[in-house]
Order: sequence, then structure tokens, then C-alpha cells
Amino acid sequence: MAYVATRGGDRAIEQSERLFRDAMGDITPARVAEVKQALPYLIDRVMGEASLYDEDLAALALAQTGGEMFEAVLLLRAWRTTQPRLSVAEPVEQQDLFTHRRISAAFKDIPGGQVLGPTLDYSHRILATDVLSGGTFRPDPVDPADNPAPAHQPSVSAWQAENDLVDLPEPDTTEGNDIPDLTREPLLFPSKRAHTLQSLARAETGGALALGYAAMRGYGSAHPTVNELRLAEAEVVVRHPRGTKFSAGRVKVSQAEVVSKKGEKLDLGFSATLGWNEVKVIAAATLDLNAEGAPKGSATEEEFFLYHTEGVESSGFCIHFKLPHYVTFQSSLDAMRDAKAKRKAAETEPAE
Amino acid sequence: MSLSTLTKPWEAMNYGFLDASAKRELRRKMLKAVAVPGCQMPYASREVPMARGWGTGGLQVSLTLINPQTRVKVIDQGADDSVNAASIRRFLARVSGAPTTMDTLEADLIQSRHRVPEEIMREDQVLVLQVPNPEPLRPVQPNMSIARQMHADADYGRMWLQLYEQILRSGRVMQGASYPSLVNGRHVMTPSPIPRWDVPKLNMAKHLTILSAGREKRIHAVPPFTRVEPLVFDDVPYRVEDHGGLTCIRSGATGFFMNEIPQEDGTSAYEISDSEFGVKTIRAAEGEDIRFGDTWYKDGEMPQ
Amino acid sequence: MLTTPVPNPDETLANRAFDALLWALSRPGLPRDLPTAGETAIIAALIDRECRVFSADPALIPLLAETGAEIADLPQADHVFLGALGSLAPLSQLGLGSDLYPDDGATAVIRVNLGSGDRLRLTGPGVDGALDLQIGGLPGGFWQARRERIRYPMGFDLILIDGTRVVGIPRSTSVEVL
Repeated sequence: MAYVATRGGDRAIEQSERLFRDAMGDITPARVAEVKQALPYLIDRVMGEASLYDEDLAALALAQTGGEMFEAVLLLRAWRTTQPRLSVAEPVEQQDLFTHRRISAAFKDIPGGQVLGPTLDYSHRILATDVLSGGTFRPDPVDPADNPAPAHQPSVSAWQAENDLVDLPEPDTTEGNDIPDLTREPLLFPSKRAHTLQSLARAETGGALALGYAAMRGYGSAHPTVNELRLAEAEVVVRHPRGTKFSAGRVKVSQAEVVSKKGEKLDLGFSATLGWNEVKVIAAATLDLNAEGAPKGSATEEEFFLYHTEGVESSGFCIHFKLPHYVTFQSSLDAMRDAKAKRKAAETEPAE
Repeated sequence: MSLSTLTKPWEAMNYGFLDASAKRELRRKMLKAVAVPGCQMPYASREVPMARGWGTGGLQVSLTLINPQTRVKVIDQGADDSVNAASIRRFLARVSGAPTTMDTLEADLIQSRHRVPEEIMREDQVLVLQVPNPEPLRPVQPNMSIARQMHADADYGRMWLQLYEQILRSGRVMQGASYPSLVNGRHVMTPSPIPRWDVPKLNMAKHLTILSAGREKRIHAVPPFTRVEPLVFDDVPYRVEDHGGLTCIRSGATGFFMNEIPQEDGTSAYEISDSEFGVKTIRAAEGEDIRFGDTWYKDGEMPQ
Repeated sequence: MLTTPVPNPDETLANRAFDALLWALSRPGLPRDLPTAGETAIIAALIDRECRVFSADPALIPLLAETGAEIADLPQADHVFLGALGSLAPLSQLGLGSDLYPDDGATAVIRVNLGSGDRLRLTGPGVDGALDLQIGGLPGGFWQARRERIRYPMGFDLILIDGTRVVGIPRSTSVEVL
């Protein structure tokens, strides 16, 4: 039975998985807790791309995959997809966000004020190498402001709308289960607005950045000005079967509004995601800003950027090229050889 | 209505992994795919515990069809024993308790990546093909919205033009696998990247074929007794791979689709691609009592 | 890490019903057995909150409502339960989908008498050559009205039930009244 030797498929995949896991050792509650505490921005990125807000599960996914981001996101998405939908939360309004950081590049000062909040923007990017030789990097304590910034601020675009600088989108009154859900329906084009925003919310950060950056560099028609960027916490307000509304907790969210001049008015691009991820929401809002009227097949066309920033699909397809392709390859070889033989035969035949 | 009518007892995992609503959506779309043969039907395509591009579309169909009595066979590039076939087979068995087999004759459900078995499938069997790219028009039109409109208009002119240009340039149609084929005289489909050798097996077959692309979220089907015609010109006939005369060095089987194995002396040897058919041939040669099914190809030719 | 899950009764019912439906629509005219008589198993297999349904039979409404499906008017419904069909009128209102999205065409479930009534000859995908069968209990002119309405690939698909027996007639099937 000559084939028996090659029938190692089951054993091979078992052992290769063991090799991967062996390198990381035991996954313990302590490790998951450490990941969660030490890497909140990574947790946020994974939660955003997975469209599942649960810091513990995200930390577990990162621990289980050794920080392989695409694997961690897939793990969470595959878990998420089997979970029942218990309720649809109330819409979150900008002015109700518990805001930690809020900046506008459009105006020096804005109603509600600029709130710098937590950021590395003005840090000097110097490695704390002392830590590697036994030291501890202990951050300086934060001095509270004399006048704390208000927790809630109005939106900048609301002021612009009052001053006839921007036309705000028509309020969408769709409620609850009627809101199109990208995870339950296919994405079709022209895309439903809800699908576009959901798709951008779970876009892969690097993908959104690459295409958003292309738009910023001139492959899009609109140059973005960050009208308002927020890192905030949103209340998840759900309705009890008895009818009362209550907050089931808070989730971290980021949102970006970018604008560009369009005739006498400003054009708006928007993006929001779970977790704090400024690069992603600015890039995604830039894509949204550029989408209208974008040429088919360009980086700023909705179909193009929504498909190509989908991290689970793109990464999966990319790694699938590792799978054997010898049937398709054989089929192509056959056509190539036959074409070559035909050409040689034609060359040796005397011309008529 | 009370809370208990809305809830169900907690289960660690749904039977067949997918939840009931995911299965219902797939069922609805499968029926539509059967009703309009060869037409791509969009579906939500849930994430499953495997990477996209690794058979998630086929997997969702199998997970919907499966029950504890369904005997499952999984093929990857012709082989039951390759690593991804082993992985999918193990997953299907683990989440459904379904028995598995490698023998085409014993299977109720065959999930395959890019091969149709060499033994003729029966009417009680279902073939699920994994599809990386469901859109046959993509080489001439990468934009999916435009391609969909072209299907709606049965506008396949550019497809024909592309084939014609290949004949002008190379003396033949250069399409390797995924040969575009007209289904029921109306929709051009990709048969998935099965070799040209396998496309005629779908034409007027006894079995149902479901083609599912998980990453691209499209499903299409070829019901039994449905015309599947590779796009060809009257004067340039369809040609399958020139494998009819090749012999498998391991099993001695002749007249089937082969894998080419480069040899150190610069020549090639061949191994039968349908691995289980090869195993059965070897066992029969060793004197075991083996049951073979009738094969689509006889002496390397597909009877018309 | 995980024990193999076992199907609960709902799963088994839906799985078996779909097996019959998939077979029936893949092989137009060949009857198959549903796990239970009537529409119940079909509803279990196909209908949930993502569907818009119409039912001519009020007795089915509570069951349909329990699935979370939206009860809709006939032209808007994707799944239509016509019971025993008394007139041709509903046929003219069934959704056909569009050339872009033929899958939006309705699925209609109708109670009929299999094995008596009009003698029909079916041809098309799923039929090995031609298939003759008798279907009764449909209003006169039904098959002609169906033919006039369907603009393939736009159209609607029929699931015809008689007790536990089910026959599928997808839009791709040509039906000739003998």
C-alpha cells in the first residue's frame, strides 16, 4: 500500500499546531489579564476589526494566537458570529459621548473646547532602554487641570450647519432590527449607508490606512481637514422588555469627521469604530469623504475600498496561496505546452 | 409571549457550528441558486473557524446540509489526505458527529477543492465545490457591480472576445482551470478552478453540485440534468487536458487526470490526482476485493 | 476541548425538511417526503426574522409571527404561503425579483393534490428528458398564468405540498399541460 506513507495529513496538522502552541506555553488567566492591562490599544484595534467589544475575549484571542493580529480577529469574528442578538442598542449621539479627547484642526477653538486628552502625539519617540537593563519606567503623575474639561461637547459640524457651512445628512430614523446589518446580509453596491459605515468600522487598520493615504496623496479628489476627532466612551443603552431604557455599560469608541470644500459648502466624511484607533477613523473618514462620484476601480470607490480593507477576507485569501494549487497549475501547463507545440508545428510548415 | 418561548437551552456549540439563522439564510439562498442554475446568489457568509479562502464557502454549505447520518468525503486538489482536506474533514466530524469516508461510492456529501471525483456521482450524492472567485467575468471586468449588470443583460460579448483573442494569439484557448461555461443556456458561470477535464462531468449529471464562495459571499448551483457548456467556437472544439494517455506510476491507473511529478533526470512522472481512486487501484492489484464505481472517462475519453 | 454537539429536535426537523426541499427543487416533479405534514417543517427550515412573509391561511400566522418574520403584503413578501389556491389572483402579485437580483423572486408554498388532476409534462434543469405527473387542486389556467408571468431569470419558485409529500417547480421548469 504505497499510498499509506503519504497519508500523514491528520498527524501533520496536529503536530504543526502543537509546535506553534508549544512556543508560547501555557495560557493562563494571569497572562490574559496582563495582555489586557498592558496593551489596551492593541486590544482596541482587535475589538474594532472584530466588531466585538469584549476586552477579556480580545486579550484571550491575542494570547491564544501569540499576537498574530489577523488570527486574533478571525478567532473573535468566528466566536461572534454564533452569538445570538439579544437587543439593538439606542443610537449614540455625539453630544452624549463621554469624551476623553476631542480635537479639531479646522478651528483654533471650538464650542466645548479642544480637549487634548491622552495621546503620544507630542511625545518624543525615544525607547526607554533603561528598562532592559533593570530599570523601571515610571510615568510622571498627571496634574489635574484647574478647570476640568466638560465630559460632553456639542459636535463641530452642528455649529457649521447652523452657520450654513455644511449640509448635515438627513437624519436616518431606521430603528432596531430594521437597521441593515452587514454580518447578516451580503454587501451589495451601491452600498447601504449602514453597511458602508459598518464595513469601515470593522476594516483592517493597515488596509484603511493604505487606501486612505492614497486618497490623501492625491488619488482622491478631496483633501481632508479633520473637523473633529474624538476618543470617547459611549453608553450602550438598551430597552428592558418592560419598556424602561437603561445603560448596560460603556464602550470605548473613536470617531472622525473630515471635511473638504465643495463649492460653497463643506463636504463631510465620517467614520467610527469600537475602541480607540485614531489612524483608522481618520483614514476611513477620508475614504468616505472621497467616495461620492469616485471613478469605478479607483482606490476611493466604495466597492474598491470596502472589499479591500476587509481584513479577515484579504488576509485569508493571501495565506490561502500556501495551499497546493497543483491541479490548476497542471491545467495551465497543459494549455501552455499545447500552444507552444502548435506554434512550433506552424513554424515548420511551409507558408502557403 | 414569555421569555421562555424566545430562548432555548444553552448549548456550548450549535450543532454543525453555524447557528439556526445562518443555516436558514444559506438554505434560502441554496434553493434560489438551484432555481436559477449558474446564477450567483449573494449571501451573508458567516465567519467560521477557518481562514477565508480555505474553503469557508463550501464549509458553510456542508455545515448546513450535514446531520449525524451524513457520510462526508473531503477532497483538496484531488486528495483526501492533504493537510487542508484533513483539517476540514476533522472539523466537519467534530462539530456534527457525521461519519467520514474517502471512498466516493460511500459518500453522501463530497466537499471538494477543485476536483470532481473520477467515479460517476449518483443522484443521492451532493457535490459541494469550494470557489475562490465566483465571477467568470472578472478577467474582463473586475468591478462586481458592472459584472452583475452584464450577467443581467446576458452580455457575454467581452468574454467571447477574450477567448477569440487567445485563439488568434496562441492558436488555442489559454484558459487552464475555471473554464467559463454556459449553464442552462442562460448564465455563464465559473465551474470553480476544476480542470477542464472535470467540466464535462457537470453537464447533465445525476448529482446536484453547489458552488460556494465564502470570501466573495456568492453561491451558485448546477442541478442534476442541467446543460453545462464550456464556451467554445464551432470550429475550435473544447479540449480537456491531454492526460488520457498518461499512467500513474504508483497505481498503474491509466486514463485519468494526473499530477505531474518532476524527476531529477529532467523527465516527468505522473500520479493520479484522485488519490482514493489510486488507493483503490493499488488495493485491487494487491488482491483485495475492491468495489469500483463506473467512471466518467473510459480509456481516457469522455463518451459524448 | 469540545464535545461533539448533538442536534436538537428543531435542528433535526429543519435539516430534514430542507433535505426534502433541496431535492424537490433540484428534481422538479419528483415528490419527496417532508418530516411532518403541511407547512410547519418548511417554516422551520426557511423562515426567520430576516424574511417578509405573506400567508393566505390565517391559521399559519401565529407560527410565522413566532419566527420573528415580518408579516407583509403579498407583493412585498419573499415567502408566500397560499394554502389551497382558490383563484389565480395571487399569482399576478408574486414578487419576481429583478434581472440583477433574481434571488429576490418569491418562494410560494401551495397545497395541492398530487397524483390527480391536470396531466403535466415537465422539462428543464433537473428533469431527465421529460417527466409526466398529475397535479390537482389548482385553479384553471394556473400553468398558463405562471408561464406568462415568469420572465426568466426573474420569476417565482413553487413548493407544492400534499400532506407530507412535496414537489418543487422552480422558475426554470417548463410546464406543459397535456
